[in-house]
Formats: sequence, C-alpha cells, structure tokens
Amino acid sequence: MTSAAVGSSTKPVSPNTSGLDWGLIARQIAGILRLELRRNLLSRRSFGLYFLAFSPVGLFVIWALSPATEVLSGPAEAVAQVFAPIFGGFPPIFLGYLPTIIFLSALITFMSLFRSEILEHSLHYYYLTPVRRWVLVTGKYCSALISACCVFSVSTTLLFLLICIPFGLGDASQYILQGPGLGYLTTYIGLAIMACIGYGAVFLLLGLFFRNAIVPAAFIWAWESINFILPSLLQKISVIHYIRTLYPIPLPEGWLAVTTDATSPWMSVPGLLIFTALVLTFAGWRAGRMEVNYEGD
Amino acid sequence: MASEQQPQSVEETIVFDNVSKFYGEVLGVNRINLTFQAGITGLVGPNGSGKTTLMNLMTGLLRPTQGEVRVLGVSPSQPQNLFARLGYSTQFDSFPGGMTGYQFIYSYLRVHGFPHGEAHNLTWQTLERVGLTDAAERKVAGYSKGMRQRVRLAQAISHGPQVLVLDEPLNGLDPMARAEVIDIFKDLAETGCHLIISSHILHEVDMIADRVVLLSSGYVVAEGEIGGVRTEMNDHPIQVLIRCNKPSTVAARLFEHDYIVGASLHDDLQGLEVQTRDANRFYSQLNEIVINEEVDIETVTVADADVRAVYQYLIGNEGEAR
Repeated sequence: MTSAAVGSSTKPVSPNTSGLDWGLIARQIAGILRLELRRNLLSRRSFGLYFLAFSPVGLFVIWALSPATEVLSGPAEAVAQVFAPIFGGFPPIFLGYLPTIIFLSALITFMSLFRSEILEHSLHYYYLTPVRRWVLVTGKYCSALISACCVFSVSTTLLFLLICIPFGLGDASQYILQGPGLGYLTTYIGLAIMACIGYGAVFLLLGLFFRNAIVPAAFIWAWESINFILPSLLQKISVIHYIRTLYPIPLPEGWLAVTTDATSPWMSVPGLLIFTALVLTFAGWRAGRMEVNYEGD
Repeated sequence: MASEQQPQSVEETIVFDNVSKFYGEVLGVNRINLTFQAGITGLVGPNGSGKTTLMNLMTGLLRPTQGEVRVLGVSPSQPQNLFARLGYSTQFDSFPGGMTGYQFIYSYLRVHGFPHGEAHNLTWQTLERVGLTDAAERKVAGYSKGMRQRVRLAQAISHGPQVLVLDEPLNGLDPMARAEVIDIFKDLAETGCHLIISSHILHEVDMIADRVVLLSSGYVVAEGEIGGVRTEMNDHPIQVLIRCNKPSTVAARLFEHDYIVGASLHDDLQGLEVQTRDANRFYSQLNEIVINEEVDIETVTVADADVRAVYQYLIGNEGEAR
C-alpha cells in the first residue's frame, strides 16, 4: 500500500443541488447501462431471455421442412395463416409468441433488475452512489428494454424469414421487399418492442414490491388473457388491448369476445407510453422509499 | 459529543436528532441524539447493539421510524447530494458477479458520473492505496477475505468522500494489512474527514479513535473522548498504578482522604494500586506527597481508562468484543 493521496485531492462529482444537472444524469445513466447491459446480455441472468426468445425458432425450422407448407399458396398466406396467429396468440387461451414468450421474458428480465440484486446482496452499491432513485430506475429499465428489444427484433425477424423461405428465396424476397412483407415485419418488431415497453414497466414495478412475484404475474397473465371478454372500459386497462389493435393482420377473437371500439394507432402508442411513464414514476417513488437491509431475502 | 473541540456547524457535522428505528416490533436503536465531528469516531458495542443500524441510518439504507439524521447538513434521503461526499464500506461480503477488482471500482465511479479518464485514474490510485494493484485484473470472487475487505474499502474511498462510514473494516485483515489500513484512516482523518468506524476489536478502537460511542441494546450508553467518558463514570473508581520506592508511605497518606476508595501494595513492595473517585484531587495530593515525603516515582499509570475497561464497566461481558 502507498500513501498516495486519494480522496481529499480528487474532485468529487459536484451535483447541482438547485436543479437537475442533465449532463450528470446522462453520464450516470450511461454508467448504469454499462453495468446492466453486461448483466442482461452476457451473464447467467440472460440465459432465460435467450432460451425463451429463440425457443420457437426450432419449431419454425421443423415447420419449414415439413410438408405442411405445401398446402399454402405462398409467403403471404403463410404469414396470414401461420405467423400472425402464432405471434398474436390464440384466444381464448392466451398462448402465442407475444402474449406468452415476450410476456414471460419481460417477467424474467425486468423483474430481476432489482430483485436479483437484492438476492445477491449487491443492490446497496447502487444505493450508495449519488444517483437519484428515479434515475436508477430509468437506467435499469432502459438497459433491460435495450436487451429485450435487441433479442426480440432478431428473434421476430428469424421467425418471419423461416415462414417465408420455404416458398423459395425468389418468392420470399419478392413478398418481403416488393410486397407487404417488410411492412408487416417492421410492424411485428414494433409490437414486440411495445410489449417489452409495457410489460417491462409493470414487471419492474412488481420486482420492487414482491419477493416472489409469481402470484401477481399469474394474475396479470390471467387479466391479459381474459381481456377480450371484459367490458370495454376494463379492456383498456391492459397492455394487450393497445397492442392488439395494431396487429397488421387482424386476428379472430373468438365467440366470447366483447366487441369494443378499436383504439386507433394514434391513441394506442401514446396511450401505452403514458401508461409506462406512470408505472415508472411509481417505481421511482417506490425505489426511493425502499430500505436495503436484505433481511429475510 | 462530550468534546473539547471547537463546536462545528450543522454543515460540518453528522447529527442524529432523537432517532429511533424499529424493525416491526424489534428495536434497532432508540432515541439516539448524537453529533459526530470530524476525526475518527469508534462505534463500540456487542452484536445486536445497533452499530450497523446506526450506520445504515446515516447512509440512507434504512429510514428512521422517528427523528431525523443530517450528514453535513444533508438528509440521507437525498442521495444525489449525499453520496458525492460520503463513502460506506458495509459488512455485506457480496459483490456484483463476474467483476474484477478494477471493473468493480471503475464501474461504480462511472455510475457516480465520473467520465472515463477520471474514473480510470481514480480506480488505479485507489487500488494502489489499498495495495490491490497486482490483483486488479483478477475476479473479486477469487479474492481472499482480507482482499475483499480492502476492495470494499477502495470502493468506499474512491470518489474522495468527506465522510467515511466503515462497518468492521479490520475484519479479515492480517496484522500487516491492518496496520496499513489504520494508517489510511489516520491520513484521512488528518485531512479533515469524518470517519465512523465500528469494531469489536477494542484495543484497535482505542488506538485509532479520537472519540467513541458505546452502544448496548439499541441505546447509547456513553459517548465522547475515552478519558472523558472514564472520568464521568463515578460508579467505578479509577485505578492508578504507581511504581515508587515508598509505596506504604504513599498508601498511608492517601488513605487520609475520602475520595480514595482503596489501595493495595504490590507483592514486590515497589509499587501500589490505588482506586480513587476523584482523579484530579488524587493527582494534586500525590504531587504533595511526593514532595513532602521525598518519594522517588518511577511510573504512574491509569489502569482502566481505555475503551476495553469502559466497555467492561458499562456493558460487561455481553457480546464478543475483545
């Protein structure tokens, strides 16, 4: 050890106490992203995300190689008959790529943002930095969102291509590049991102309140599942309601469905973003009130 | 705190104002009124006495059930204002997974908001200061207990805090590292830092702390400079060892005064042990005796004015302090 001066001779971060120092906040969020992206994409924590996101790829490969493709006329029909329902789910059972896979991935990824650090007894390192709690919540949320968006953009693209390619590269590229394919693909990627935005905020909040969020997560899954049979007003208190209205290829909702006025895309996207902002604000408040003593964790 | 130092303003001190913390119905600390001034303050008490609770309240990891804490005039509920000036090395022996010593310090400096160059330089300076440069690129998970203790200390001091809170910082360190870390504490204290250190190792607290706070079952039982605390403990007479050539004469003369509680001669008849309730009057009387009786004094030592003795008198054998 040496007696090199550390501490008193260095210039500590000098926060602007009278207002928000946006430059400092940006640097702090970048610091949080550095730490969290590594954890979300390169640590053991990321295995669940990768497994869930890419688990349908194997099934799609089998489908692509099977004779089932022969009964379809081309990529357009395959996307409408196979990809769209698998992506959107099959009411009344809430199963599908978006309502199940993305839902569960968001559950694992966003809920562990605070929860896993509480279990590892390492959250206090964040809590001992001069970072406002809402900045910490924002940084962690953004890191998980970036991770999930990257993984699901790749995964959705892969699945879409696997649906189109069995009909030949020529037909597939014509459908994607000269037909409506690229628009559909972009929209489905956008929907996957929107699902991550909405579900992510909800699960981050749950991770701040519950040690074991299986029960509340199951409740939310059930709520989302029965969304289409709820009265019009209640349907709007959900993530899936805003996403479903944006599907480029509409899905049948089943005989139990309650018909409601569809929310326009111009309302759906801002509506979901406002909902997310409110949830994150609440999460920031909760993170600020939280004590870190790991007792009972 | 009972101190002869110049009183400092609220912006320069750490203040606990009637602070209580309950975990449900379990008492953490109760009605704590303390003011910590610059320098090294030792928190002493048995397990469960409230030392860690006090530190966690100071750093905002816990919120008081009642009362208010101010650190250099800042509330712990304002992390953006507090933690640029405060570092805390906790007792939690856990780290974010997969990180090297360098990455650990550097990453959290970036979270503080330091740009890359400054964070990089501070990281190396701090690692050098705690003697971990050789292990900087090794995973923290592979560190020994002493190295983990030092990397936590490095993380706490890396951003140059004015207040350093250290929970059992000497645990797990070998004697050499312990001496080096104590030197770091003394250096920091000399620059005007506040160091709040909890420890079970009483002779080390005695060696490094300017002041102590003794805690027991969530209450402050004594606080101040060790000598001052000891002097105020009238229930326990101060024991003074005198080595001299006429111990029986000294004993006989001292027994003429009511503030002398007892005196016993040493077996070799070259000294005596005196118990007194009033140290000041005892010392003046001793001077008089030495002059009048022509006594040759070899040494005069207070036998029980250290943290250990104060701890024993006030808290007893409770806990594991040694």
